[in-house]
Amino acid sequence: MHEARTGSVRSRRTLVVVLITAAAVIGATFAGAASGRSTAKTISVAIVANGQMQDIAKLTPSLFTAKSGIKVKYTILDEGKLRQVTTRDVGSGGKAFDAVMIGPYEAPQFGVAGLLKDLTPLAKGDRTYSYNDLIPAVRNALSANGHLYAAPFYGESSFLMYRKDILAKNGVKMPLHPTWQQVAAAARKIKTSSMAGICLRGKPGWGDLGAAFTTVLNTFGGTWWSAKPNGKPDKAQVDQPAFKDALDFYSTLVQDAGEKDAANSSFNECLTQYQAGKVAMWYDATVAAGTLEASDSPVKGKNGFAFAPVFKTKSSGWLWSWALAIPKSSPDPSDAWKYIAWATGKQYLRAAGPRVKGGWASIPPGTRVSTYRIPQYKKAAKAFAAITLAAMKAAPINNPGTTKRPGLPGVQYVGIPQFQDVGNRCTQLISAVIAGSMKDTAAISQCQQIAAQAIK
Amino acid sequence: MLPALLYVVAITQLPFLVSIYYSLTNLKDKTQSLTPEPTKFVGFQNYRQIFSDPFFREAMWTSVKMTVLAVLLSLIIGTAFALLLDRKFFGQGIIRTLLITPFLLMPVVAALIWKQQMFSSLFGVLNKALNFLGLNSIAFISDHPLASIVTVLVWQWTPFMMLIILAGLQSQPSDILEAANVDGASGVGIFRQLTLPHLRPYLELGALLGSIFIVQAFDAIDVMTGGGPGSTNVPYFVYQESIGGGFRYGSASAYAIVVVIFSIVIATFALRLLSSLFKDEERG
Repeated sequence: MHEARTGSVRSRRTLVVVLITAAAVIGATFAGAASGRSTAKTISVAIVANGQMQDIAKLTPSLFTAKSGIKVKYTILDEGKLRQVTTRDVGSGGKAFDAVMIGPYEAPQFGVAGLLKDLTPLAKGDRTYSYNDLIPAVRNALSANGHLYAAPFYGESSFLMYRKDILAKNGVKMPLHPTWQQVAAAARKIKTSSMAGICLRGKPGWGDLGAAFTTVLNTFGGTWWSAKPNGKPDKAQVDQPAFKDALDFYSTLVQDAGEKDAANSSFNECLTQYQAGKVAMWYDATVAAGTLEASDSPVKGKNGFAFAPVFKTKSSGWLWSWALAIPKSSPDPSDAWKYIAWATGKQYLRAAGPRVKGGWASIPPGTRVSTYRIPQYKKAAKAFAAITLAAMKAAPINNPGTTKRPGLPGVQYVGIPQFQDVGNRCTQLISAVIAGSMKDTAAISQCQQIAAQAIK
Repeated sequence: MLPALLYVVAITQLPFLVSIYYSLTNLKDKTQSLTPEPTKFVGFQNYRQIFSDPFFREAMWTSVKMTVLAVLLSLIIGTAFALLLDRKFFGQGIIRTLLITPFLLMPVVAALIWKQQMFSSLFGVLNKALNFLGLNSIAFISDHPLASIVTVLVWQWTPFMMLIILAGLQSQPSDILEAANVDGASGVGIFRQLTLPHLRPYLELGALLGSIFIVQAFDAIDVMTGGGPGSTNVPYFVYQESIGGGFRYGSASAYAIVVVIFSIVIATFALRLLSSLFKDEERG
């Protein structure tokens, strides 16, 4: 009895010690985080894991922190994860990030909903920033009602990249404005056991497979939802014939002549395969051209470029920009703007050219008119600079298909909040069709259900 | 103990009550509407929706398949390894440590290793081996998502099962086995008629604990497939509905609460089974 009691006293004492230690550790962590913020001037930024962003993360300490004294803590995530994290943080008024990387899908929506800081006065008031130098198509895509909600870090459209040598060897001539049928025929002709004809995105996610597929869907005359006269979504259109045509075209092309393990491939995977000489053509973002023509690229000088293939519309290329925005809840908006003005300003582009691994060709393109007047850039990007600018200008952001779209403008996405979830879940089904593990009709009926339910 | 109790209630039960309240509303993330919409009380609408949602039913079915397959396979393989380890041989300690290692790995790391180094069609070991044998590559994860995930789960949980079964084997009295040997019983006969009945409670315990953990599998799915037909289980479905992209917190709460109710029912049965086992033990 006596022994048992001392035992329990001892264990209670141990428990108290453990609890106090735990509380002290937790307290110290919070205190550390808080003091870290107030003294050292650190801002947190969430960015997407593409080449140009990795470059700026590397250059930030020497080019930005050294001058401004502001440390930048980067959170680098893949596209899908970045969207979850930023949407969650911006929507809940979280204070995790001072600046987040978003695009033309999010910026106007979040801006209209009052969740982002209006950057127009900051950008116009900052003489060195030169607001009017921003490419109008990109600037408009990131604005709503004349307010700029995100500053573009790079801008892009989509187009077709191909290996000139491989196509010539196969006797294929690619026109500057190809149709999808021409591209498909070429891909099937070129394809061998060691080289795929074309790389098309197949990885689930509205910004991955969803983006590439929706441009095809648009030009095939299909759409996700019809629109009411007031711009609200009316009815889901996934069960319409044009959607099935586009889906069948896309999935059979990838199955017949596409890359290996297509259902897991998106921008970065296709880039790797194209550079390794495993695919002859690649339909994707124009920004890829900078990496293909970079000084350290194994396929430098071998690439041809053509506008996004079409079928029933005149142009089909998308319009996208990775851009930096300041959430309303940002703990440090003025330092955040200092950072954004530097990262998306003219000076960074000029400073990055000689410093990044891929040289001038791989600096962030498509944001400023002045970029295209830098002599070194003009020389390094000779093969693709003009067509990139033309493709961005031609991107049919206000009328991407053959019918009226609901919501805010957009090519490869529908500008309504529901699209993110619908796009993600439906592309999982489309990806399964591409992998061959699901029938097109089954995917369409499930996707129609998802799309219809979302707008109820 | 009252402060401790209050603390536990505050951090576990209050959030649950709040979830119940959320499940009766149409709460969604602020980013999900262009103009601010007030959150409305919608009664049981979210719950009615659950049972007409084919995607939720599919996720339930996937959960069942995933859990049953993973638990059964890891139990069988775990038992086999335990039988091997139960003998004395040179290097036993090292082999035992190596066999336990998969269980010590973080689930995300395990899933990444399998995805990139084993299953990948570009640089995966399995496809390299297939090609070496003159066979065509298989896109394991995209063509067989469920089988791929179950493989990783089995790889991770086999050591756990092995340890439990090994404890069972080592508690088996050796005099009975010797007596059986003397009586001329065959190895298979001894295993079936003596060892297996003796292992029964250990097998049941392994299956029970394994099910409780594996039914919550999330890491492997997120890393390897990111959801999709055949790999979205119930936890992943709830995640997709809420912070994973749907941002409909109201209906996601309703799904989560239905899952909790199901889990409580299953856990009650399981606990009853467990306590009856221990009673048998005492009597035996």
